[in-house]
Amino acid sequence: MKRLFVVAFVAGLLAVALAATLWPLPSHFRYRAITSVPIDGGRQEEFIIHWPEDRIARPGEQRSGLLPAVVAGAAVLEDSAGRRVSAELFRLRDTEDNVIGVAGRLAGTGGAVADAGRSASNWLLVIPSRGALFLAQSDVEDTTLREGVAADGPVALAPAGAAAFWTDRPRVRITAAAPAGAGSATSGKVLRGTSEFAGLQGSYTETWDLETVHPDGSTSGRIVLSTLTSGGG
Amino acid sequence: MRAVVAILGLVLGVLAGIALLLLNPLTWLRGLPPLPSDLAPTKAYRWDAYRGIDGGVRDLLGMTRRNRAVALKDSALSHMRIGIVVLPAGEGAPAALAVKVSVIAGENSLWRAQLGTHDYWSIFWPGEGSVFAIGYSNYWPVARDAFFAAILPGDRSVMSPSYALSAPSRLDDPAGVTGASGRYAGFTGEIREQLYLAPPGSARSEPDWTLAIKANPPPVATR
Repeated sequence: MKRLFVVAFVAGLLAVALAATLWPLPSHFRYRAITSVPIDGGRQEEFIIHWPEDRIARPGEQRSGLLPAVVAGAAVLEDSAGRRVSAELFRLRDTEDNVIGVAGRLAGTGGAVADAGRSASNWLLVIPSRGALFLAQSDVEDTTLREGVAADGPVALAPAGAAAFWTDRPRVRITAAAPAGAGSATSGKVLRGTSEFAGLQGSYTETWDLETVHPDGSTSGRIVLSTLTSGGG
Repeated sequence: MRAVVAILGLVLGVLAGIALLLLNPLTWLRGLPPLPSDLAPTKAYRWDAYRGIDGGVRDLLGMTRRNRAVALKDSALSHMRIGIVVLPAGEGAPAALAVKVSVIAGENSLWRAQLGTHDYWSIFWPGEGSVFAIGYSNYWPVARDAFFAAILPGDRSVMSPSYALSAPSRLDDPAGVTGASGRYAGFTGEIREQLYLAPPGSARSEPDWTLAIKANPPPVATR
């Protein structure tokens, strides 16, 4: 009986060892990276975001019948001096329209960040199977969201979500051609990458393309982040 | 009688095996030291309004079903969590808005006592500037204590009220802070995160968190 107990006990130990070795820990689904090599060298990759459908709303956040510019999954923080920061969350797609990751856009104004009437913005791109990219830029105009008030509480308003923003221009390049004088320090810079993007540095441009103006005055379109990176930066 | 003895031996063997696995001494050797509080003020935050996984030990082991209320349905996003976080003002800094993304680490290993997430931060202080940060949070000590709390039901002292999660990653990516804009452009530094579990019996089920950031300006270039 004692021997049986010892054999069963050792079998239990071995079962745990086997489970620890073979346990299927989560792994990330991966799409093939769609990159190209320009004539001048480097690595070019475009990331696409469709608005409004790629916005990641908070749990239970569903609003209807509000202003066209109201967006889900966003937040605005403004201090008493009128300096503002806004945050937006998106799904991130490749050029074949596959959802490959997520993106967070933070934009800020005022003080040491940007000149009057402009903002500086950061993109955090996370592709679970490949790593993350950190992008920063000066914007050609103030791209921060505004805070509004609706019947069910405060809401975030995205100017580009309303038709008025797009008068006579179906496409806007958001990345400033050159850094603002006293403001943020860069015009479309890939600051750093991790995992598969580790060691890459370079530049990027952010472009907003209007696709549809809806009868209620809201819009849909796409954001294109076009990166050009190289190693050994 | 023989069957009872065999089952008892097997169950005790499994429990002993799990205990030995969880008591892996690498857990104690691999933590990162805390940052000095005078150089890296600690910011408490909540991360309740998230989308994606719950982020607990069961998620890290792949043992949970999707919570439809918060899950991201896309295949590539099934093991991650994203949300907007407000970091409070204090210690001379205004409140900040941040985006935090946690991704279950692909290099997790039960033999190496690694059960963690890669954490990516983008933080923006109004009128001040912004930084990015990367960290690796190892939940192994949480898993270990939860196991012993479960098999020693009378002993509530097993679970610590807080856990310093930050640990070095096995990947070559150095954790840390990268200054992005404003007065923080070019800064580099370190981050630490701590998890505060909801007390037993508390109406609030989500944990609280703290974040400490130490960032230094770039070296002054001389001609």
